[in-house]
Parts: sequence; C-alpha cells; structure tokens
Amino acid sequence: MVTVKARKVGKYEVGRTIGEGTFAKVKFAQNTETGESVAMKVLDRATIIKHRMVDQIKREISIMKLVGHPHVVRLHEVLASRTKIYIILEFITGGELFDKIMRHGRLSENDSRKYFQQLIDGVDFCHHKGVYHRDLKPENLLLDSQGNLKISDFGLSALPEPGVSILKTTCGTPNYVAPEVISHKGYNGALADIWSCGVILYVLMAGYLPFDEVDLTTLYDKIGRAEYSFPNWFSNGAKSLIRRILDPNPDTRIRMEDIKTDEWFLKNYIPASEVENEDVNLDEVFSVFDDPEEGVERPRNDEEGPLNLNAFDLIMLAQGLDLSSLFNRRQDFSKHPARFVSRKPAKVILSSMEIVAQSMGFKTHIRNFKMRVEGLTANRTIHLSIMLEIFEVAPTFFMVEMERAAGDVSEYLKFNKSFCSKLDEIIWKQPMDKIRSRSSRFSKRF
Amino acid sequence: MGCMNSKSFKHTPGYEEPSVLASETSFSVNEVEALYELFKKLSHSIFKDGLIHKEELQLALFRNSNRKNLFADRIFDLFDLKRNGVIEFGEFVRSLNIFHPDTPKLEKINFAFRLYDLRNTGFIEREELKEMVLALLNESDISLSDDMVESIVYKTFEQADSNGDGKIDLEEWKEFASQNPALLKNMTLPYLKDITMAFPSFVMKSEIEEDDL
Repeated sequence: MVTVKARKVGKYEVGRTIGEGTFAKVKFAQNTETGESVAMKVLDRATIIKHRMVDQIKREISIMKLVGHPHVVRLHEVLASRTKIYIILEFITGGELFDKIMRHGRLSENDSRKYFQQLIDGVDFCHHKGVYHRDLKPENLLLDSQGNLKISDFGLSALPEPGVSILKTTCGTPNYVAPEVISHKGYNGALADIWSCGVILYVLMAGYLPFDEVDLTTLYDKIGRAEYSFPNWFSNGAKSLIRRILDPNPDTRIRMEDIKTDEWFLKNYIPASEVENEDVNLDEVFSVFDDPEEGVERPRNDEEGPLNLNAFDLIMLAQGLDLSSLFNRRQDFSKHPARFVSRKPAKVILSSMEIVAQSMGFKTHIRNFKMRVEGLTANRTIHLSIMLEIFEVAPTFFMVEMERAAGDVSEYLKFNKSFCSKLDEIIWKQPMDKIRSRSSRFSKRF
Repeated sequence: MGCMNSKSFKHTPGYEEPSVLASETSFSVNEVEALYELFKKLSHSIFKDGLIHKEELQLALFRNSNRKNLFADRIFDLFDLKRNGVIEFGEFVRSLNIFHPDTPKLEKINFAFRLYDLRNTGFIEREELKEMVLALLNESDISLSDDMVESIVYKTFEQADSNGDGKIDLEEWKEFASQNPALLKNMTLPYLKDITMAFPSFVMKSEIEEDDL
C-alpha cells in the first residue's frame, strides 16, 4: 500500500484542486499551525511574466489586501517559490451563486433581493476605496456556509491612477458588460459595475440572461439599446429598479446612493458591518514578486484536467443522501441530474458535447470542464438552460453530469434524449453479458 | 394561524417539548416548532401514527415509498437513535441538528463516518465502500466493470487509508474529510438555519395539506 505524502507550501498543507481558471489553479489547503482551512490560488510565475500579468496580479493582491468587507473574499497572505506564487485566500464553502441558479433555477424575489443587497454592499464598499471590479457576474459570486454572498476574483480590476477616473481597457463577460464598455468610449468603472449588478439581479430573478444572443454583434446591439423584456413574475418594484439600472446612457443611469434608497431595495435590508484591515503594507506584498529566490517547497505539477471524483465523492451524489428533499415536497425530481460515462479523453468529450449542442441550435458557454447549454427549443418557444460538468472518476474514465437549470421539464427530457443519442459514440456502455456477470458476482458477495 | 391551531391537537407519540430540544441543539424554539410541522407532515404521509416509518422516509426522499435504497436505509438507521424501527420527533430534531450550518465540523465528520460504516464495525472497509459505489452507479444507471469499480475503490483507499491496513478508521477519515471538504457538503442543509425565515409559508402550507388529505 502506497501512502500519499501530503504536499506542503510553507505552513500550509495542500489538498485537492477545487477550481481552475486560465492562469491559476485553486487548491484547498490547511494552515498546519491553526488548522484553519484556506483556498490557495496557485499561479505559475513564468506564465505570469510571459503574459505581462505581474502588474495585474499585484493589483489584484493589493486590492484584496485593502478591502475588508463581509461580502468580499479576504486575502490572508502571499507566498512564493522559485516557480510559483501562492495567494492564500479565505476558504468559501458554499460554492458559486452561478451553480445555485444552474441547480435550482431562478430564485425567489426575496432571495434575489437578499443577494442583490449583499452584492451592492460589497461593490459600493469597493467603490469607496476607489476600486472597481469590472467583471461582475454570478460566476464571481460565491456563497459561504451561511449562504451569504462573497465577491471574488478581482483579477481584472484596476486601481485608477490618481487623477484618472476613466478606465480604458475592455474586459469582462459580454453578457454582463455595460454598453459604454463595449463601445470603447472609456468609461466610469462605478457605473459599469452598477450595470452588471442590474444584469445579475435580472438573472437571479429570471433564471436566464436579459441579453443573450449567439451572434456578438446582435448581442452588443441589444445591450446598446437595452433591449430586453421582463418575465411576468417580476414585481413592479423590481422592474422599476432594473429599468433604472439598465439604462444604456451612463449619465442618466441610477447611482449607487439612489439604489440604496430605492423602496424595493430597502425591503428587509440589513447593511453589512464593515471590517477594515489595519496596517496593510503593500510593499511587502510586492516584494514577493521581485525576489524569485525565496525558498518554499515546490508542489507537484498537476496535469490540467477535470476535477477528480474519489469513491466518496461518487457516493455523495446519491439521491438518498440529499436530505434537502425533505424540506420541499414539491421538489422537482426531474432536476436530479442525468449522468453518463465515457472513456474518451475529457477534451474530446467536451468538444463533442459542444458540437452536438450547437448543432441542435443551442448556445454553449464553457468554463474549464463545465459547460452551460442555453437556448430555445426546436419550436422556438421555450427557453432551456442545462448545466454539464465532466468529472474524472479514474484515469481513463470520465463521468458527465447533466442538470436542468431552467426550462420546461418535458422539453428538457426531450433535449436530453436527443443530446445523448447524438453523443452515442462517446458514451460508454458495458456489454450486456458483462453487466450480468457483475451483478451476479455482486449478489454473491453481499 | 395554522401554527396556533396545531397546538390544541394531540401531540404525536415521542413528542418532546420544543424548549428542551432547542436547549440541546442549534435550533431556536420557533424553529423546533417549525420542524414539528414538517415532522407531522412526514409522519402522516402513509401510516398517520406520528412516527416516521422507513416507507415514509423513502416517499419523502424519492417520492416512492417502495424504493429500497442503501443510503436511505443508512439515514433511517442513524436517525432511529433508539433503534425501534421508527423515527420519533426528538430523534428527528437531534439528528437534523447534525445538518445545521452551526454544528461543529467534527460532529458532521463523525456522522458521515457512521453513515459509511455500513456494518458498524468502527471502520469503513473496502467491501463497504465498494457496495456504496455500486449502489450509486446502479441508481445512476451506470454499469462499470468490476475492475473499474475496484480501481476507484483502490485509488480512494490509497488516499484515505494512510496507515495502509486496508480499512479506514475514524482518525484517517477525519484527516481525509478535512482535506476534502466537499465530502461534507451533504452534511449541511443551509435551510436549517432560520428555518422559519427560510420557509415562512411552510407552516401554513402543511396545515392546508392535512385538511386536503
């Protein structure tokens, strides 16, 4: 029996990978001195230098060191080895708000309002520090164990130079960005963030995007004219606030202070108490980047790939272990995920699924090994949104989980069937006789 | 309104005072009362005797009272603290307390360990882990070769069984679960925090449904 030795970086014991982005991998880690759980963002020094991202990363770090707010993910410290940079962050256990919408569909008006209030609190606080997020979207909003919102990923933020209040870089996710950002006019970061918050509020309440087009030109066009419609379940109060936020003209768009006095916004509003970080020395943070010889044990370099599922992760997927169903008798069981397995490489599975979904007239959004499929059904009437994720179960064995995020159940089942039949080539099936021998062995043994 | 009325009804057998249960758990008295409404609903779904039977748990979890399931059996056995074949109200509240967001992680880790220690030997053994993996695969309509299942179990034991004796003891499980926090995800139900706030309509609804029966 081989014992796996825990990897260590400084005083942190490094666990499994919990997330992956283009330039960073996020690992679970534990402070061996205090036992505290943290998230460790691992960046490759060479990649950062190659992509000229040093300044951006420095900015990210300095912002997070500056911002101490209950609704903003905290940064504990920064470590470095010869080849890697490790950013130690507060560990947030509740997952992404994005996943919650994917899993449960749209939220109730009260829940949406609660998250929106927390979002505005955190964003407003940052704005007062002169920091603009510029990439606000549900994927950057995490939930803690108490279900409170935490804004993460200041990777694209920029601290404005003194005297310059107009930012000029186009960044952000197209569906959430403000019209003036798209038109490269140079823009006010605060107002652009307010727009994104409006889109987020819409998505929380509707379960789908206000602006969503396959073709970017059409998308930008619709954003530019703020062309969208409200589903019938939006209340008048919510509609009126969203209308004032999604104003294509930044000059007349609602300001933060007016959002915070809006009648709909104020319902059940509990302002978060702010926590300042005392004595932040940014020079210390920056020196991490300048001294490549500082020695910290170098962790094993993982292959980029989908998240690994061990046997216990698999077991956790059991419906019988999901007690949340006790609390909602009318829970939609068809939301329970469909799964299939494949022995093709993960990248092949991903691209096959992408091609098939697009051939069925759906749009796809891919992030690492997660894919969101969205669009109208064949008869062009019903909006459907499905979440897919690839997991590695064994080195040559992957499992794909499929969940309905929004849309009609029977349409989802139809989609599911047609989608899987088109993926027949990659879906792995056990020959019948082997199944029988397995089950007979199974019954003998247990 | 429904809440007030319900107090004049006869309590279910095994009923315990909300104030007592609240003092032993992370729930407030109001929340225990809300849980009582949920308990009544669950325990009257089939046998109507104010005790949750296994079939009633299966109905709540799967919408199917006849669906035999290894995991539902485990949940039932662990909730049935007195081991008399039914879940009483006090058992229900004390067990759900494990799933409360404020309950210390260690209690959740211990509960998960007992859940997976199918034969109550004090260890999670290979055979038990394999049985659970097979049950999940079966439930998901996925059939894997025996070799494949063995390799999944083997790999997990490589990570979790740090002393290499072929079984996972509580200490090893604690270590493994703290390294893999996702493994405790099912052990926390966010709704349990402030259950009355989370389900303002819940108490009312349960009364209406009983009238409908």
